Amino acid sequence: MIANLILATPVLFLLIFVWLIYYFTHRVQNGKKPLLRSIRGFELIKGLTGRAIETGRALHLSLGVGGLADSTTADTLAGLAVLSYLAQKAAITGVSPTVSMANPMTMLYAQNAMRGAHIDDADSAEEALRHIRWIAPQPTAYAAGVMNLLAIDKAEATVMVGHFGDEYLLMGEVAARREVAHVGGSSNPNALPFIYLSADQTLMGEEIYAAGAYLQQRHSHIGSLMAQDAIRWLIVFTIFGGILYHTIK
Amino acid sequence: MIIRIGRIFATVVAIVSGLFVLTDMFVTQWPGNFFGLKMAVNNLGLLLVSWAAIVTAFALLLGFANVMSVHANRIRTRQPGAMYSGVLLLSLIGTLVVGFRGPASANGQFLFNAILQPLEATFSALLVLFMATAAYRAMRIRDLESLYFALIAFIVLLGQPPIGTYLQFELPIIGGRFELPILKDFILEVPALAGMRGILLGVALGTIATGLRVLMGLDRPYAD
Repeated sequence: MIANLILATPVLFLLIFVWLIYYFTHRVQNGKKPLLRSIRGFELIKGLTGRAIETGRALHLSLGVGGLADSTTADTLAGLAVLSYLAQKAAITGVSPTVSMANPMTMLYAQNAMRGAHIDDADSAEEALRHIRWIAPQPTAYAAGVMNLLAIDKAEATVMVGHFGDEYLLMGEVAARREVAHVGGSSNPNALPFIYLSADQTLMGEEIYAAGAYLQQRHSHIGSLMAQDAIRWLIVFTIFGGILYHTIK
Repeated sequence: MIIRIGRIFATVVAIVSGLFVLTDMFVTQWPGNFFGLKMAVNNLGLLLVSWAAIVTAFALLLGFANVMSVHANRIRTRQPGAMYSGVLLLSLIGTLVVGFRGPASANGQFLFNAILQPLEATFSALLVLFMATAAYRAMRIRDLESLYFALIAFIVLLGQPPIGTYLQFELPIIGGRFELPILKDFILEVPALAGMRGILLGVALGTIATGLRVLMGLDRPYAD
């Protein structure tokens, strides 16, 4: 009986999570939007397209070394949410970001996102697709490619959101030395110190998953942020309750 | 209309495939076979994951075409760094030709052992230099946050090597003994670990939420 209960717990947890996402998304759709705290990384990203237009220099977006069929999928999807925002801006302004990645599957999704944003204009879509670059599957080779990209294209700004490892510092340092506006984010705790050291603004851990909510105000993303907060409170109370129970016992 | 039907079809395929793979994860843990159902779900889950591997292999071919087209365009339009693009294309084609005999062939092994591996190792070694310059920049105190950062880094760095063990003395007024390695251990094991666990918990929740949004069809990166 207890064994069955333990096996059913993850399913129950997921069902509660699903219900919370639906509930909060529905609330947001009905106009009950929460006040989102300001995240400076996203504020900077919002201003980058304007800076790229003013200076006439390229904007670079790195989707990292993660893929879409492994444990790094969520990080890559977070990077794709940023791309989706920048692609929509590009469709309006005509300044397409240069997008790089290490996984070829991610490249296909990036092309899809870019094509989706330029759906009304085939010519500009074709031009935007030229800026999507698959570099190399190995993390160090990818980092070398991005370093070269930042140097040769004389990028105005770089946004690196996705899955990264130690190789982040190689790219981040080039951006820092060239005084390029730089926003970095990853969920890998080992890469976060490198991002903090080299980037102007850091998207710390789970903040990268909030890209859709902050940049595009997507209802489902805001709803899932609220669901995450609700679950987090549940976990905090469970931990606190456990401590109390064991202390009293 | 065709696009709309295509989107609906893609969404249905994605949700059904995702649900099967998720069910497979749970069913594997359950005792018993449930009249062969467990085995069937296991096999289907494995099949879907193997299909993902095949699709990734095809994506690699498209990636190859992307590299060729980007660098050929750089050479054609004589952009800055076109020479490097030429070297890259030559290396790419050379590796491809060598690869026809298989990666285990003598030439293939030579490429990996004598060129690729040393290059990667050299590049990784550059990290040490980059770390030093990044640390130098980080130690410059600009605001209160960077002051904390520099102070904590200083304590941990000093507490790590053997010389740190000599940094201990009796505390004058309050009494007791100050030992730097103990302070360093406290920083690493209490506030740093607590922060790390907080980040990991948040990341886990964010990952689950992202996955559930795709499973629920609220997020469709494949059909946007």
